[in-house]
Amino acid sequence: MSRKGCRLEGLREIDMLDTQRLIKKFGGLIAINNVSFEIEKGELSSIIGPNGAGKTTLFNLLTGHLHPDSGRVIFSGKDITGLPPHEICRLGIGRSFQRINIFPRLGVFDNVQAAVLAGQGKCINIFSPSKNIAREETIQVLETVELDDKRGLPAGLLSHGDQKRLEIGIALALRPSLLLLDEPTAGMSPEETAGISALIERVVQHQGLTAVFVEHDMSVVFGISHKIRVMHLGKIIATGTPEEIRANAQVQQIYLSGE
Amino acid sequence: MSSKVQLKTISVNGFLHGVMRHRWAWLVIAVGLMAAMPSFVGMSWVSILCEILILTVAASALNLIIGYTGMISFGPAGLYAVGAYTTALLIVKAGAPFGLAMIAGPVAAIVVSLVMGWFCVRRTAVYFALLTLAFSQLIHIIIFKWYGFTGGDDGIVEIPVPGFLFSIESYYYFALACTVVCLLAMWVIVNSAFGKALQVIRENPGRAEFIGINVRRYQLMAFVIQGFFLGVAGSLLCGFNHNVFPPIADWTESIHMIIACLLGGMFHFFGPFVGSAVYILLDRVVTSFTEYSFLVLGIVIVLLVLFFKGGIAGFVSERLSAGRPKGN
Repeated sequence: MSRKGCRLEGLREIDMLDTQRLIKKFGGLIAINNVSFEIEKGELSSIIGPNGAGKTTLFNLLTGHLHPDSGRVIFSGKDITGLPPHEICRLGIGRSFQRINIFPRLGVFDNVQAAVLAGQGKCINIFSPSKNIAREETIQVLETVELDDKRGLPAGLLSHGDQKRLEIGIALALRPSLLLLDEPTAGMSPEETAGISALIERVVQHQGLTAVFVEHDMSVVFGISHKIRVMHLGKIIATGTPEEIRANAQVQQIYLSGE
Repeated sequence: MSSKVQLKTISVNGFLHGVMRHRWAWLVIAVGLMAAMPSFVGMSWVSILCEILILTVAASALNLIIGYTGMISFGPAGLYAVGAYTTALLIVKAGAPFGLAMIAGPVAAIVVSLVMGWFCVRRTAVYFALLTLAFSQLIHIIIFKWYGFTGGDDGIVEIPVPGFLFSIESYYYFALACTVVCLLAMWVIVNSAFGKALQVIRENPGRAEFIGINVRRYQLMAFVIQGFFLGVAGSLLCGFNHNVFPPIADWTESIHMIIACLLGGMFHFFGPFVGSAVYILLDRVVTSFTEYSFLVLGIVIVLLVLFFKGGIAGFVSERLSAGRPKGN
């Protein structure tokens, strides 16, 4: 009966991720209310919505941090609903966090290298010295997120902006096919925000990634998204191109009354 | 006056830098010194050194999970006793050869730590610590109550040891060789990709899941590895004392190992070694002066914890990085 991990029939080949009627309740609160959507391969999309709309909860459902009360998550044709985070991660969904979530006492290089090693399934290697494994891949990632000059520093000593970059670097180090970024520019200066925004656009273009990000900074959202989804009270109430979302009366209503 | 003090500090730092730069050479010298010790000191001191070696193996094993994986265990003594009693029982009851019994001790500890760990890693932080304590006390009570098999509080005495290991001096060399091999093995483990995964789990188990690490499985593996080395330490103790008694499984024994870890510095590979040496020397020196040895020991530990943040090894390496020129 278990269909988890098996290829499912009847799905669109172009879809990377497909969620079907997801529901998640916390006590009496319906955090995610019947959410269904598809993400196409190569798409760079964003999810916006007022605080408490359920954006992070949705990410938690997709990455296995939480399990939905009902509904399914299909990734690359496989049912991943209910799998633990480390298995979902190994299947190719990388994630960065809204609050900084790194390995503070380890060096910047070690942070990324650990993710590279884990992503390649090499962490089980108990005898060969880690300093000789996956160096190039690690340095490549550090160059991508522009932290290669700080590789020796303990990650906890980096500035907030650099820690957010490292956060993305750790997610990229896994070579995911789908990258989920939770507020990648939260707490950043306008210059840093522009840098991150360019970085996301670059990796999606050059590495053939599919990426979804949650963001409050509208210049980033409307600047780089191919598609925007708007969440409100646990539902996706609008999906469209930046122009369509800008013109959507309901969205305007929520943002004007909600904030 | 102050410049004089500063000068002294710098020269100390300079010396420590030298130690760090030629780490391997110094290690060889340290082992050489340890090997030369019996020619300079009396038998009672060789015996103390031997105790330090055994505690070093046990505390370093414990540090694999406390310092490297971030799992505070209160139950290392249980696994230590499994190693000691397996060796003792095999020699005395089954007439097994010494070498085989010494290997069987750690192997039995692996089996027991696999069962114990399977349950313990299902909980974290203080609940994990309490579970390890509970299992360890369970082992203690089995040893203590099962007269027919373990001899209860009569222990197992007069365990025969091969002639070439009978003298304290020759056993000291045997223990030194075992300690060096164990520490080398642990050094390789903590510097491997696996060791990196353990540190990642220590730093942030939540995030470790999201880079694809099966946290519980790695924690269990770390637990079993520490079990193996605790077993080695236990077997070494059995061969050293020629007897085993239930208190080696008791929680006070676990506390000795935890103190050795914390005192030396749990974020440093050689922390447990430094801690073991300081702890046992303190204990011996203090007991020779006063009968209130625990009071003095307690005060010293409080002071060390308060003023040597990160243990003795941690304190030294902090001084090192403070004195290091920037941009290095």
